[in-house]
Parts: sequence; structure tokens; C-alpha cells
Amino acid sequence: MMRAALEEPIRGGARWSYVFGSGLAFLVALQAITGIALSVYYVPSSDHAHASVAFIQKAVPAGALLRGLHHYGASAMVVLIVVHLAQVFLFGAYKAKRELIWVTGVVMLLITLAFAFTGYLLPWDQAAYFGTKVGTSVAGEIPIIGEIQRRIMLGGSELTTLTLSRFFTAHVFLFPVALLLLIVTHIFLFRRAGAAGPFHHREDHRVESFYPRQMLKDAVFMLALFVALAALALKWPAELGPQADPASDYLARPPWYFLPLFQLLKYFPGQLSLIPTVLLPGALFAALFLLPFADRRAERHPFRRPIATGILALSLAGTVGLIALSKYEDRANKEFSARFKEQEEASRAFLKSKFEPQVIGQVLAATPGVGVAPTSFGENCAVCHGDRGEGADSAPSLIGITNKPNRTPEDLLKILNDSRTYGLKEPMPASFDLSEDEKRQIVEWLKRLK
Amino acid sequence: MNFETKTSGISDTPEATDKASTTVERRSFLGVVIGGITSGIGAALALAIGRFTVEPALADSKTEQWADAGQLTDIPEGKPVKRAMTIVQEVGWGRFHEPGSVWVIRNGEAITVFSAVCPHLGCSVNASAKGFICPCHQSSWDGAGAKTGGPTPRNMDTLEHRIENGALLVRYQSFKQGIAEKETV
Repeated sequence: MMRAALEEPIRGGARWSYVFGSGLAFLVALQAITGIALSVYYVPSSDHAHASVAFIQKAVPAGALLRGLHHYGASAMVVLIVVHLAQVFLFGAYKAKRELIWVTGVVMLLITLAFAFTGYLLPWDQAAYFGTKVGTSVAGEIPIIGEIQRRIMLGGSELTTLTLSRFFTAHVFLFPVALLLLIVTHIFLFRRAGAAGPFHHREDHRVESFYPRQMLKDAVFMLALFVALAALALKWPAELGPQADPASDYLARPPWYFLPLFQLLKYFPGQLSLIPTVLLPGALFAALFLLPFADRRAERHPFRRPIATGILALSLAGTVGLIALSKYEDRANKEFSARFKEQEEASRAFLKSKFEPQVIGQVLAATPGVGVAPTSFGENCAVCHGDRGEGADSAPSLIGITNKPNRTPEDLLKILNDSRTYGLKEPMPASFDLSEDEKRQIVEWLKRLK
Repeated sequence: MNFETKTSGISDTPEATDKASTTVERRSFLGVVIGGITSGIGAALALAIGRFTVEPALADSKTEQWADAGQLTDIPEGKPVKRAMTIVQEVGWGRFHEPGSVWVIRNGEAITVFSAVCPHLGCSVNASAKGFICPCHQSSWDGAGAKTGGPTPRNMDTLEHRIENGALLVRYQSFKQGIAEKETV
């Protein structure tokens, strides 16, 4: 079988333009390998998903690289599958006896987008949560089946931990099996029909086996992909913002490959939104599926198929144009661009900050009307001052402390930095290893403690 | 996959069949390049995944040293008392506050704290009329933790403790099981 694979005849000889299929196979393998690695630490539960991804990204050796490869590999797959399909379309390689190869390819484009959609939620950060919330609402607008479909996707009426669980199941169990079956079918059919070869027949006499020259080109392309993805992952670490906060007013935007749909939604208000959400994508994919059966002319040269070539050029230009337009409008809107800048900065700050393990199982008693002390208080102060700051043998009560002399909120912040300058002695620690945010949280809580 | 022996010549051009030997050489050279690229990518990934999965597993465990086992006042003379405490352990992405327990026994002023984990295979040790017993494999110890029977390889593991403001603080540790020496994990 290896021999048969290596000696596969390539009509017209090896070419750089044939590397995209192998490149995609490589990316699928890379996504599978890095995905399995990530699952070693990832927890698909809304209360731990973000902590486990932050741990992978910030604390585990090679974690940022593996997650980055998976993150950028997903985008690369979307790009490459579009390039691959566009090329097959342009070269007319879907014609005569290759119809099913084309159809399986289009199904794989859909599965790739489904992979991207489900994978986007898994880190459970702000962008993931709000992006998916909007995405599933769009799916809910479809008439009759919309609401049922939305609920089945979400696992209930809201986006919750159950949504995360079923997105995870789809992303790591269902879609991979479906994709694998399709790839096997795709390659089997491709090998049976043979490569279509160049669209002109000038070089038909020249036949070359897959090994070695085409294989070398494929290998060089894979290496280029791998190096590029690794460089991206190391230079610009995969994004991870603060944990999802459903109560916040986060300004959500979908990942770039869903921006065309997002942009179209702006032009079709109310009931008309069915045009971009259902009718346009439906028509597009129906046309893609039916293409090889509708277009039965033998002609393959792109310049002698002006309508087909024109449609492709227009669709691609339209897609790129919509993405650019959506980016431009966000940038032109002063309020939005300020918000995006703020969100990006929060995201960058979170990514840069040191990894803080999530506190699990610590039970603090609450003060009625004031609430539970911040976790950092529980970990650093409650041992001596009590869960509710009520004090104990070894340490005084903190209730009403901000009313005492030299204990204004500013003083308390300074005490947390250096308690000795305020004359405090053992067992009060001289300083605390807390972030500015945590110190502020503690002081805010103490202010309420009356 | 052995590229060197592959000589079946589908050649670049029909004329090239005459130069079969140079073609074979070229093919095997390209084969080495292809092999180099694929094994390079494979090695880089294997190294990354190796570090990702193995390094954290070999790192020292981060257990907070001293845990509060409650006030000392109600510990009777000569009778083992089980004390619950909260063990704080940093594991991967979380700092877990989990319940743990130790055996405490008082002889006059002397307090001894024993790990409740059996040194044999790690079951939970129970108190018995004569001291301690492990219900899994019937290992037994006297009140001082000395081995009196069963498959246990050693005496019960004592834990360091100190007393602060009337509270018993225990240095919670785990020890290797199934060996005669007491060694921390």
C-alpha cells in the first residue's frame, strides 16, 4: 500500500500548486496531536476551564507553544481549506468522475467551521463566552426549528457549563470521527479517480510518480506551515482574556472567519436577518454541493469558464471585503474602538500576569450584608483575623477598622505593602505577596466591614 | 520505509531511463531530505509534548507545610483521637483545600501525631483496642505506633507538630509506601 501511495502517477508532473491537500492533511494531524496533548490538563467545566487553560498557557512547559499551534492551526485550516477548494474550483478539477471528491471536500469545510465554532468556547474567557452567546443566538433565529436547535446546542435555555460540556464532546469526539471518515473517503476516491492534472493538456504526456518530487514539495510546504505556526505561537501567544463574566458588558466580536456573516447581519434588520443567517449560507453551500452535477461541461480552463471564475472571484472578494469592512467600521467607531482597546489591554495584561492557581474548596463564613471575604483575604488574613475579620487570640478584630486612626483605606494598602512602618509586629507579616488588585479587593471588603 | 532500494523508474522524461543510476541516486537523496523534514517536525513535537506531560509530573509537590489540627484541650490521655484538618495543596491549575486527617495520642505532656495513611499500601488506619489497625490487610500497631503484626513494612509514620496559641499545628507530609524506611515522597 505504501508502494502504491508513493508511486501514484501525477499527470503533468510535480507542482507547487498541488501541495494544499497534503498541507491540510498535515494540519489535521497537527490539530489532533496538539489537541490530545491539551486534553491532558484541560477541564471542560465552566468553573475550571479558564483556570486549566491559563495553567497550560502560563505554567506548563511548552504549553504556550502547543496551545498556540492548536490556536493558529485552526485558522490556518480555515484558510487552507478555502484555498484548496478555490483551486479545485478554478482548475475545474471537480468535474467528471470527481464529483464526490468535491462533495466530501465541501462537507469537510463545514466540519472545519464547526470545529472552529466549538473550539472557540473552550477557554471560557470573555471573548469565548460572549462570542458563542451571539453565535448560538444567530442559530436560534432560524424559523420553526431555531429555538429547539439553539436549546440542543446550549444544553438548556442559557449558555452554561452544560454548553461547554457538549461543545467539548462535539469538538473532541464527534467531529474528529466524522472528519477522519471523510478524509479516508476523500483520499480513497481521489486515488481511484487519479489526480486531475493540469487544466490544459499540453503536458499530459509527462507523468511522474508522487515520490520523490511531489512528496518533497509537500514536505517542504508542511515544514513551512509548521515553522510559521510555531513562530506565531511563540511571538504572539494565543489569546486568553480574563475569565468569562456573564454580568459584564463585554463587547463581543466573532473570530475572523465568521466576520462576513456578522457584517451582513448589520444590513438586514429584524426578519430580514434570515437572509444572511439562513438563505445566503444555505444558497452558497447548496450551490457548492450541486456544482459538479450542474456544471457538466468538460472544459476545465478557468479563462474559458468566465462565469464560474467570475463567481469565485466575486465570492472571495466579497468575503475578504466584508471582513475588512467589519474591521474598518469597528475602528472608525470611536466608542467601539476605545472599548476594544480596553478589552485588548485587559486580555494582554491577563496573559502577561503570573499564573495564579484557582482556589478550590476553601469555605469562608460570610458576614450578613457584607458578604464573603475575597479569596486573597481567606488565604492570607483569615487564619489569624478570622473568616469574617472578627479577630482571635493572636490578632485583633478588623471590624470597623477604617474608622480608626491611621487606618484609612490608603493606610491599609500601605500596611499590606509594609506593616512594619506602622509599628505592627510579629505575628503580622511584614508584607504580603499579593497583586495590587487583590490588595484593593481586601481593602474594599474591609471598608464595608462595620 | 526504505527509499534506497526503490528503483522502479517512473522517470521525469522518457530519455531519463538511460540514466537509471543517476535517477536512483537523486531519488534516494530526495528521500533523505523528505525523511529529515518529517522526522524534524516529529522530533520538535515529541520534545514539546514530552516536556508538557513529563516535567510537571516530576516537579516537587507543593503542599503547604503546616495545617491546623484544632485546639489541644480535648485530647484524652492514652487514647488515639482522629483530628480532621484542611490540607492545602497546589495541584496543577488549582490550590485545593481538601480534608485530611491524622491520629493524635497524648501520653502525659507528650503529644504524638501519626499519619493516618498505612505505610503498607495506603489504606486509612483505624484505632483499635490495643492501638491501631489497618482494615485492608490487617497490619497492626501499638499505641506508640510500633509494628505488632500484619504485612506493614514499618512502624506508623509520625508527623512533626508544634503548638501555637493552644492549637495543634501539624506538618502534613506523605511517605513512600511498602518500604522499611520512612522516606518522604
